[in-house]
Amino acid sequence: MGFELFFTGTGLVVKGVLLLLILFSVVSWGIIMFKMYQIHKAFSDSGRFMDFFWKTKRFDSIAAQTERFASSPLVALFNEGYSELKQLMETGESKQEQGGALSTDLGGIANVSRALRRATNLEVTRLEKYTTFLATTGSTSPFIGLFGTVWGIMVAFIGIGKTGSASLAVVAPGIAEALIATAIGLVAAIPAVMAYNHFQHKIRVLVKEMDSFSTEFLNIVQRNIAGK
Amino acid sequence: MQRATPSREPRFAVSITLSLLLHATLVAALYWWQQFLPQMGPVQTTYYVDVVNLPVADPRSGSPVQAENSADVAPPPSPEPPAMAAPQPQSRPVARQPATNTESSAAFQQRMAKLQGVADAKRQAQRLEELRSKVAAAGRSGMPRGTGSEAGSDYTAYLHSRLKDAFRETISYNTKAPFVAMRLTIDGNGKLLRTRLEKSSNDKVFELSVRRAISLAEPSFTPPPGRSQYEGVFVFRPEGVAQQ
Repeated sequence: MGFELFFTGTGLVVKGVLLLLILFSVVSWGIIMFKMYQIHKAFSDSGRFMDFFWKTKRFDSIAAQTERFASSPLVALFNEGYSELKQLMETGESKQEQGGALSTDLGGIANVSRALRRATNLEVTRLEKYTTFLATTGSTSPFIGLFGTVWGIMVAFIGIGKTGSASLAVVAPGIAEALIATAIGLVAAIPAVMAYNHFQHKIRVLVKEMDSFSTEFLNIVQRNIAGK
Repeated sequence: MQRATPSREPRFAVSITLSLLLHATLVAALYWWQQFLPQMGPVQTTYYVDVVNLPVADPRSGSPVQAENSADVAPPPSPEPPAMAAPQPQSRPVARQPATNTESSAAFQQRMAKLQGVADAKRQAQRLEELRSKVAAAGRSGMPRGTGSEAGSDYTAYLHSRLKDAFRETISYNTKAPFVAMRLTIDGNGKLLRTRLEKSSNDKVFELSVRRAISLAEPSFTPPPGRSQYEGVFVFRPEGVAQQ
């Protein structure tokens, strides 16, 4: 039996199942490649950004260079925190001019903290985007393939019943055509599950890095600005 | 608040396109690789050799192999020895023999028994020759004066075996105990002239499978004995084919 007969020799339902599984496989591999690039870039840009952050003393200098580390989620956090801080400073200065109190007090720090938390959530959402499809592919593809196999074997046995012959030559091709659905289901599911677990681990590490950066950023803000 | 992030990400559509290319390459590689695998084709064609009714031009004249390599093989059997000639009766008159001699009487009895045995052998040889000429007139292959281009001595059995094998490939039915009696008419060249449904259990699927079996077996039909038209009825059942 030729390779092409595995597809052309099957019934309509099995054909549909095979097409669905191939679609799942194509999309999940697309997501795998996309996420691999995205997470790899996020890690490398984060490392470079942290070096730059600790070497540079001024926030405005850092803010001017953030485009160089665009893929890092820490840059998004810094931008959020810095813009919030800038707003607080502007508001504080205007109030000081009017004879009011400095606004960068503990209430202002809480604002920055909330902005950082919001940015963290947005970055986690961005990093986890599409990974749910990998989880869905990993958990449902074997069952879809199994459904195709069960259907194919059922049709094959109906054909055998009509033929009246139960020789191996009659039984084997139908079952082989049916089993290809399970095989493709597993081919689609195994890389998806492996990639999903890998990406989840990497995203957890990035989340820890973001938490650490938020704490460091708040500390710096509180030490250097609120303490004035 | 506006965030400056989206433009930094790789395009998702590019990844999907790459994935499509990857899958297409994989399929092409599999298609290429299968050329090196042994063929897992359908059931191989079975060739039948009818060892009982091997077609020969004339068994008495020897096979073609013997004719080409006459130096290597033994010569064909010598023609039959002439029938034993009956002994001539004694010209001596019986009256001249001494009637009272008991020894000569015993010899006479012995001679008479011998003569009777010779006469019986002659009669048997004549009868055998008659039978041989009768069989040869039928012109069956494998027998004296057979043409060698015809099917075996039992043409119905030959057709039966071909139909049985073909029916094994096509059999299918919807009812519990279907049967079909089909009359086949084959011309002198082994070509199926017509098929007529004699009896049927009205299982259309079964009838169709019988017709398909006949079509499948038709190319293997050989000319009937004596190149005469053949007509026979075969009963098809799920258990197999039977001659009627």
